[in-house]
Amino acid sequence: MKKFIALVMAAAMALSLAACGGTPASTPASTPASEPTSASTPASEPEQTDAVSADDIEDNMTSADGTYEIAFITDVGQLKDKSFNQGTYDGVKLYAAANGLSYKYYQPANGDQATDDDRYDAMKAAVEGGAKVVVCAGFMQEGALRRAAMEFPDVPFVFIDGYPLTEDPENPEAPVLTNVAAVAFQEEQAGYFAGYAVVKDGFEKLGFSGGGGGNNPAVCRFGYGFVQGANAAAAELGKTVDVNYSWEYGANFSASPELQTMANGWYANGTEIIFACGGSMFQSIAAAASANDGYVVGVDVDQSSQSDAVVTSAMKGLADAVQWAVAKVYDDTFSEIGGTATSLGVAEHAVGLPTAADSWRFETFTVDEYNTMYDKVLNGELTIDSDYNNLEQEYSNLNLNII
Amino acid sequence: MTFLIQQTLIYAVPLMIVALAGVFAERSGIINLALEGIMIFGAFIGVLFVNLTQKAGVFAEAKAAGDWVALQGFMVLAMLVAAIMGAVFSLLLSFASVNLKADQTIGGTALNLLAPALVLFFIRIIANQNTLQMAEGDSASWFMIKKSFFGYGRNDEMGFFGRTFIDKTYLATYICILLFIVLSILLYKTRFGLRLRSCGENPQAADSLGINVYVMRYAGTTISGALAGMGGFVYALTTANCASTGDVAGFGFLALAVMIFGNWKPLNIACSALLFGLFKCIAASYASIDINGDGVFLLADLGISPHFYRMLPYLITLLVLAFTSKKSRAPKAEGIPYDKSTR
Repeated sequence: MKKFIALVMAAAMALSLAACGGTPASTPASTPASEPTSASTPASEPEQTDAVSADDIEDNMTSADGTYEIAFITDVGQLKDKSFNQGTYDGVKLYAAANGLSYKYYQPANGDQATDDDRYDAMKAAVEGGAKVVVCAGFMQEGALRRAAMEFPDVPFVFIDGYPLTEDPENPEAPVLTNVAAVAFQEEQAGYFAGYAVVKDGFEKLGFSGGGGGNNPAVCRFGYGFVQGANAAAAELGKTVDVNYSWEYGANFSASPELQTMANGWYANGTEIIFACGGSMFQSIAAAASANDGYVVGVDVDQSSQSDAVVTSAMKGLADAVQWAVAKVYDDTFSEIGGTATSLGVAEHAVGLPTAADSWRFETFTVDEYNTMYDKVLNGELTIDSDYNNLEQEYSNLNLNII
Repeated sequence: MTFLIQQTLIYAVPLMIVALAGVFAERSGIINLALEGIMIFGAFIGVLFVNLTQKAGVFAEAKAAGDWVALQGFMVLAMLVAAIMGAVFSLLLSFASVNLKADQTIGGTALNLLAPALVLFFIRIIANQNTLQMAEGDSASWFMIKKSFFGYGRNDEMGFFGRTFIDKTYLATYICILLFIVLSILLYKTRFGLRLRSCGENPQAADSLGINVYVMRYAGTTISGALAGMGGFVYALTTANCASTGDVAGFGFLALAVMIFGNWKPLNIACSALLFGLFKCIAASYASIDINGDGVFLLADLGISPHFYRMLPYLITLLVLAFTSKKSRAPKAEGIPYDKSTR
């Protein structure tokens, strides 16, 4: 009897461990069924003006022949981070749903500690699973993507937040991989709008908490733009603002108790609004904001539905960009963008703040003022420096406190 | 100062209650190495309960109406559920170490391996990713006590006491402190407590006086499991925005260290938990600690590398245990399976 029980327990343990080691993508699709939207909370429904909302499309679909045409490789962090990964995947889902194509996401093994090998394995699995186009999110995919793109030269890859890749990382003169389309954004513009708007709205003590430990170009551009925008608005108003600027506790773009404590400390010492720039880090900062009656600026997508503390979000049009790039594959015009760098900004209407009534939570700053500023950037009257190496400079109306 | 006290309490209270969980098990003669595992499991159950209840819309009305008493009740309910499931989970350890007379260290380690795997497995199925969060809102807006509940406006001053111990606190913190006191009295001032402790010191003698050692050891471990499960949920609620990730950042092991440092005595444990909580707090927010309220951030101005501050909690653990573990006195019979025939 004892032996039997011991055996059963050992078996249960082994099973539960084995189940965890499996590839995440093979998890059965069981979530949507468990999400009944309760009638009493219509306010929490995200704002969607499109006919089809990406949230209504299932994350997992089963194709008849077991192959999936559009594959998505996630960045570090969660798929449903309500930010970067989710926004990018929304583009995949929207395009696939509109055109009746099959799609699937692949999360590289080992989560936040994923190595190039893990990412390469995910890409290989995607190609072997019948992918006609592979969308890879995040600049950290570079090494794996180079390897996969060279091994599967006939498969087009879309490199979101990326740059053109050459065959040899050491040699910039090496041939460029033409099956990799690099799509980046002018995040400094979105950051600038957010920084300008919050200072114009009366905030004087700002914070910036960025992910990636200062090595992620997209986040660096967001932050630098934010500081420039805040400085410009402060100069117009003739006052001086303070900005706490930190890369701590966000190296993996994940929420953590330490990050929450740090944000609590900032709010407790007078910081009024923090730019939560990094996927799931939003959770920790929004929790701290909610505890201290502080405010948050969201990132990548409109995050106003996630917390009442969100004043605005520095958005980039991830979903639109993905749909645009994937459409190029199906139009047979992929060669136009393959191997080149595409940088989307105001000119393409790819960055900005959400202006829907529900998302616009400024007290004094108006949509008209925003549009005026937007047009200035659009017609070249106002240029925003994108070289974030210039971050540490003397600002006319801003004290930058790098932590 | 207010900030420092509040954050220290937030880190110290889960440590304290889980260390007391360890005391209950060890005083009854069972080494409960599985504290970490039970915490992880309890955190998961509590978060799952909150998530499912929110989805069912049970407290949606109370939330919309700002009925904070009902929401506090909701939180206490979640703590209770976490405690019950923590107790159930700990039965695996009791069964292995009391009935099967298995090595308790190995049993505890097995549970520590089992819990994160099991929890992640379920979270994957439920949430399709490796974090389970609240279905809506965040822990602060649902469960935190704010001064507005007592009719204070945004700019009204509550005084130092109110500001520090009422505004922006969690009821869970005080429930844990109260439980800590009540259970310490139970352990030291009641018949049940004396019997429980005797089973950890000399079970043969206890048995000869008619105390059922097996029952006492089951009781000790079950109370331990309940406290650890609850502590896990309180940790997730107060520090991790009510999210379960199959991880409690080693708090279960830190609680073991606190218990040993506290020499298996409640008062010492409370003090050492506060010490560790303080250093945890300093590690995470050294740059915004204003000790005497004069606007000078001394720790940041010292110019010491941030890495040093982040190392502090672990350095302190190492140092303190190295210097105090010589004098520590564990319950004599802990870790030895009780066998009636060896009397």
